[in-house]
Formats: sequence, C-alpha cells, structure tokens
Amino acid sequence: MTIAINVVQVLMLVLMAPLVRGVIARIKARIQNRRGASVLRPYSDLAKLFHKEDLVPPSASFVFRLAPVVMFAVTVVAAAFIPVLRSSALLGIRGDFFILVYVLALGRFFLLLGAMDGGSSFGGMGASREVLVSTLAETPLLLALMSLAMVAHTASIEKMVLWTTGQDFFELSAVHALAFAAMALVAIAETGRIPVDNPTTHLELTMIHEAMVLEYSGPSLALIEWAGAIKLTVIMALLVGLFLPWGMAATFSLPAVAIALVLWLVKLGGMALALALVESSVAKLRMYLVPDFLGVASALAILAVVFTALMR
Amino acid sequence: MGLFETEAAKALASSAVFLFITVLLMAAAKRISTCIMMFSAQSAVMAMQVLAIARMRHSREAYAIVALVLIVKAAAIPYALFRIVDALKAPRDVSSSTTSAQSIFIAAGLILLSFFAVKPYAGALGVDEAMLAAAVALILTGGFLMVSRKKALMQVVGLLVLDNGIFLAALTTTFGMPLVIEIGVVFDLLMGVFLMGLFAFRIRDTFEHLDVSKLRRLRG
Repeated sequence: MTIAINVVQVLMLVLMAPLVRGVIARIKARIQNRRGASVLRPYSDLAKLFHKEDLVPPSASFVFRLAPVVMFAVTVVAAAFIPVLRSSALLGIRGDFFILVYVLALGRFFLLLGAMDGGSSFGGMGASREVLVSTLAETPLLLALMSLAMVAHTASIEKMVLWTTGQDFFELSAVHALAFAAMALVAIAETGRIPVDNPTTHLELTMIHEAMVLEYSGPSLALIEWAGAIKLTVIMALLVGLFLPWGMAATFSLPAVAIALVLWLVKLGGMALALALVESSVAKLRMYLVPDFLGVASALAILAVVFTALMR
Repeated sequence: MGLFETEAAKALASSAVFLFITVLLMAAAKRISTCIMMFSAQSAVMAMQVLAIARMRHSREAYAIVALVLIVKAAAIPYALFRIVDALKAPRDVSSSTTSAQSIFIAAGLILLSFFAVKPYAGALGVDEAMLAAAVALILTGGFLMVSRKKALMQVVGLLVLDNGIFLAALTTTFGMPLVIEIGVVFDLLMGVFLMGLFAFRIRDTFEHLDVSKLRRLRG
C-alpha cells in the first residue's frame, strides 16, 4: 500500500508537471489582461515535439544526444524524493536531501555538457551563466535544508515533513520563516523564472536556459522541456511539503488520501498564483545583479542556521 | 484561558519573526516605496502584538494604543510619506552605499548582536527573549538604515524604524507606557515626518537632488 501511494506520487509529479506550467502561463495571461492559451497547451506542445525529427549538429558527439535523456531520467528520480500525499517518499532514506540537491545538479551538469557540445556560441554562453547561477544557488539551498534538518533532528525529507505536521501553525519558528524566504528565492533561480531568467525570451543579452537548449529540437527538446517542468513542480512540491504540510494523509483510508490530494492541489495552485504574481510584477534583473539576489538568499539561509542554535 | 487567548499567546511568541523579516526586507529593498510599505507592515505587526497583550491582560488603555498605532503609524505616516515621494518627483531608489546582499548580511549581523546583547537581561527581567531582541534589532537596523542610505527620505524611514524599536522595548519590558505618553510620542513622530518632508523639499529645491552624502558646503 505504501509503495503504491509512493509510486502514484511520483507519477503525479511527472505527469502533472506540464499542467502546472500551463496553469502558471494561464494565470499570467489573465493578470496581463490576455485570454491566454489552454492550460493543456504544454501537453500538445510536447506531443508535437515528440513527433518531429531530431536534428543534431554535425560537430556534436554522442553527449549531445545523451544529455536530454540523462536530464529527464535524473529529474524523475528527484521526484521520487518528494512526499506529496503522505509523509513518505519512494526513495525516502536518511540524508536524502543531500541526494536531492545533487541529483538535480547532475541533471544540470549533463545539460551543460550538451549545450557546449552543440558547438554554437550561445550554448557556451548560456552554460557559463547557468554555472554562475547554480553555484551561487547551491549554498543557500543546502543551508536552508540543513537548518530545517537541525530543527527537526532528522536528515530525511519525509521525517522533516512528519515533524512539521506535528507542529502548531501558530508556533511559527524563525528558522522556518527564514528558510522559506531563502528557499523561495533559490527556487526562482533554480527553475529559471523571472527575475533571474525569463523562460519565454530568446534575447541573447539575457537568456540563460533558452541559450543552452537553442541547438535542440524534436524529441530531445521535448525531454528537456518536460524535465524543466518536472523540476519546477518538484521544487514547488518540496516547498509545500516542508513549509505547509498540514492536511497530509495520516492513514491509508480513501477519504484521508482524497482530502490530502485536494488540499495539495489547492496549495500547489496557491503557489502557482504567487509565482505568476511575482513574475508579472517584477522586472528581470540584469545578469550582474543576480549574484546580489542570491547573496540575499545566502544571508537568509545562514541566519536560519544560526537561529537553530539561538532558539534552543 | 480560552482557545483565542492560547492562540494569541502563541502568535505573540512567534511574532518577532515577522519583525525580523520586515527588517531584512527593508535592508534588501531598492526602492523607497518598498521601505515605506515594510514600515507600515511592521507597525501593523506591532499593533497586533499590543492587541494580543491587551486581550491577555484585559487592559482598556491598550485598545486605544492599538487604534492609535494602526491609524497613525500603519496608515497616516506611510500615506504622508508616499505623498511626499510622489510630490518630490525624485528618482525612487534608496541609493544605498552597500549592495542589498551586503545590507542584509549587516542586518543579519545586527539581529544576532541584539540576541547576544539581550541574553543576560531577558532572563533577569522575565520577558520573552525574542521580543526584546527584536526591539534592540529594530533600534540598531533603524540606525543602520539612517547612516547607509543616501536619500534624505530614508533618514526619516530609519528614524521611524528606530522609534518602533523603542516602542517595542517599552512594550516588552513594562507592557507599554501610559496612554498619554504614547499619544505624545506618536504625534511627535507625525510632526517629525511632516517637518522632514518640508526639509526634503527644501534640500531638493536648493541642491536639485536628495543625496545627503553630497551636502558638503553651505548655500544661501
């Protein structure tokens, strides 16, 4: 039973990821007074790409073909660390938050290799920018997760979630507030959203992610896009699980799981709305201001770790 | 104690977090208007803290203070400041001498410093350590905002944050000053904001900018 729910959780994160993107795009369109495309649009985009020819630059090696596959596989593995309906995950082991962070980093590493293997100058430029952003984002993400681990006295994400579920919402701890602020900033940088990167632009001065995938086409591009959507959903689900886990099913009964599912969808919808609001109201940062943005996240994360000692 | 009182006590104990967050956001903010909004939010949080204390101690006077803080500090002063910012038609950034990341590191350091500073006293006075630390942190960051921001209006905002800190310190150690004194202080502050507003207009008209770091020589 546990295994079944855990597998369903992973499948949900993987299959619902394009929908999450579609919903965010739709909300953004509404805020900007446009009608916007259907929320199912990302699925048809993926279907279209999967039917197209995969063009490979003549100078590229096997790494170019391998990179999207590895990135997709690794992102699906990352989804298996996230508790969604119950405070348990398919790969929930001790110390899994380290694995989660570096599994995501592994996917990014292969995408970087693929981008540079493509041979265009944009690939290398996007790769170097992505490395800068991800290097600066890794510290605050790990520190914020560690501060939560120290408060909950456990090193696995599912135990942290279980611990938070047992707390009273009104006894909000400084550590959680600071870690949430830090992780929200990191999440924006990690998933390449405004104000760090704009997922809808192809302007060479500003693009990061789009520059890396410029040479990809057909099924390879579909895998990269899908993996990107899964990553966004995984990080949103991680934030929901760590900071708003109340309502997760404690038992295996059908009503409890159904309530957990509905509540989870509502929370995820709320996060999508918040993200759309931020993206519509904030201007994209200049590349040179991104280290400053992530410096703020680092300061918050360090403060969160220090507060774990102060609060005891 | 009823359910409401219990929740109020718990919310009060953790409300210092919100004050820390407003202070950190103020340090990170790049625009004057963001800082003003954060000041308004900070005042509203403090009004809620007074309200929670009023509920727990059943004090009539405290309700008057809640209303006073909400009306003057959370609404009137921010509104006046917004009007001044609009009327000045000056660039809206705070022109800080430190980057946001540096400012937030400094603000974080000041918060830690205030925790260590109040540690010996909080136990002796029998008050909540986080609240007292928040009060000291507000005073320190208010001072930091005043010295590190170059726009004349940010000195006002820094002063207001500093005053919030003093108010909170009085609230945590003695459960608030008498109503008459609070009224006096709040209206003093309101007058101070208007005076500083006038001052900002004079600075702009005489020097054609609001940068206090360039006020080096006298002009008629």
